[in-house]
Amino acid sequence: MGKGVARQYKNRDSIQRGAVGSKIALADRWRGFISHHRATLNDSALRMFREPLQTIITSAVIAIALSLPATLYLMVENIRQLGSNFESFARITVYVEKNAGQRAINALGDQLEAMPEVATATYISAEQALTEFKSVSGFGSALQHLEDNPLPAVFIVEPALAEQIDVGQTHKLLEKIRSLAAIDDVQMDMLWLQRLRGLTEIGQKIVLALGGALGLGVLLIIGNTIRLAIHSRRDEIVIIKLVGGTDAYVRRPFLYGGMLLGLTGALGSSLMLFAGLLWLSGSIEHLSDLYNSQYRLLGPGFVGFLGLAAVGGLLGVCGAWLAVARHLKDIKPR
Amino acid sequence: MICFDNLSKRYPGGFEALKNVSLNMDAGELAFLTGRSGAGKSTLLKILMLLERPTSGSLLINGKNLNRLSNSQIPSYRRQLGVVFQNHQLLLDRSVFDNVALPLQVSGYSRKEIGRRVRAALDGVGLLERERHRPQTLSGGEQQRVGIARAVVHKPRILLADEPTGNLDPALSAEIMAFFRRFQDVGVTVLIATHDINLVNRMNCRIIRLEQGTVADNGERRGAAV
Repeated sequence: MGKGVARQYKNRDSIQRGAVGSKIALADRWRGFISHHRATLNDSALRMFREPLQTIITSAVIAIALSLPATLYLMVENIRQLGSNFESFARITVYVEKNAGQRAINALGDQLEAMPEVATATYISAEQALTEFKSVSGFGSALQHLEDNPLPAVFIVEPALAEQIDVGQTHKLLEKIRSLAAIDDVQMDMLWLQRLRGLTEIGQKIVLALGGALGLGVLLIIGNTIRLAIHSRRDEIVIIKLVGGTDAYVRRPFLYGGMLLGLTGALGSSLMLFAGLLWLSGSIEHLSDLYNSQYRLLGPGFVGFLGLAAVGGLLGVCGAWLAVARHLKDIKPR
Repeated sequence: MICFDNLSKRYPGGFEALKNVSLNMDAGELAFLTGRSGAGKSTLLKILMLLERPTSGSLLINGKNLNRLSNSQIPSYRRQLGVVFQNHQLLLDRSVFDNVALPLQVSGYSRKEIGRRVRAALDGVGLLERERHRPQTLSGGEQQRVGIARAVVHKPRILLADEPTGNLDPALSAEIMAFFRRFQDVGVTVLIATHDINLVNRMNCRIIRLEQGTVADNGERRGAAV
């Protein structure tokens, strides 16, 4: 009897020691958490390398799906930039009456300058216009045969707030200028710019729609890949759950796997974009030089690549999450 | 430590695996759970592991009613258990070390601590020099010892074993049982489901016998005599 009691005490003591032994200090827990995350990430990466063909195919599909909207986005951005390069063309040409005297012209200039909507009004006399035209157009010799100057004197009016192209406002300004004396005609080369804006707006919407659809595609591709991974690691999941692994613990390697797939897809897509830009930029520079333009092809830049990686990684995690949420429930034990 | 209180389990489809089972096990007690296949041994262990929930009645572990445990609390409960399976349930694509480390990784131990404890557990079952091996290169008895090391590496208070000697010869079975004795000696509550009657009789321990889902003999008198 006494022996039994002694044993019980001993037991209780060792139970308590056992309980203390299984308690983990917070710092250790954190270190364990970090090292577990690192180990999981390493493991997920290793798994990808162990099945290179599968990884390459999946990543390539993701890369293509990401490249399409990214390319279209770049196209739209380039067109927009092209448009803003021509923003300075949104100026108003005021044709002066042919027989207007110098005083009327001066008065007109003052009146234009005085308008609050007008930033500058530059006078170009008929002679100046002719010399400029001769030098730029290449018709110089033909123009020599003309008896008198066919060009009118003009004011080039730059509206204030050039970036704010508001149809109503500019039309009001046009009417205001038109009402002045000694004016033959007022023209504004802006409609095409507005059309361009409209087109780029449509382009942006298409990018958004296409991006959404292909993003959904990427989500499904990654989801399916992760679903297969879950099935092939079924035994492991069961055992982890039996030894007390939480759902988060079980989920983690798959989420990392999805993220890595998305990231490699984004990397592939970046390479595709980069190659495409390299291929195109020479031709575009050449064309741009022919047009006497400073225009250069706009790339996605470092931020663009980062954005692409973020989108890829996020889609990866979300796709994996969908697969995990859907398929882990099927695996007993809960 | 373990207290079944009038517990019943009816599976969907109407099969009643356990009927009004009431059982008590003290801390540091070692008991065998016997009975023919279909008597309810597996179901009883499954309920202890919370793989199944009882249909009625309750199970108290250390005074805590498991019916009140939500699904999200199950993992932390399972960490208090060590389980040895008949087919050892080792992961074949991982080394012995990694297999044994699993319960510790799941609980969030640091790598240093994991190394220390895993080696201690492997040393305890005499397999320290095999830590880098894959489970399939080990013999059946060695695999089962790895399974035991995994079950006890996190110092559980309760050790459950489901036919731990199922495929082993008598000598190996006795060896495995000696391990269970040692854990009992340090205060672990051990419950072993088996139909190896010879082994059970040799051990001179409490024997709980199930018959068609009911407790035919709770073995308490014999336990008191020891």
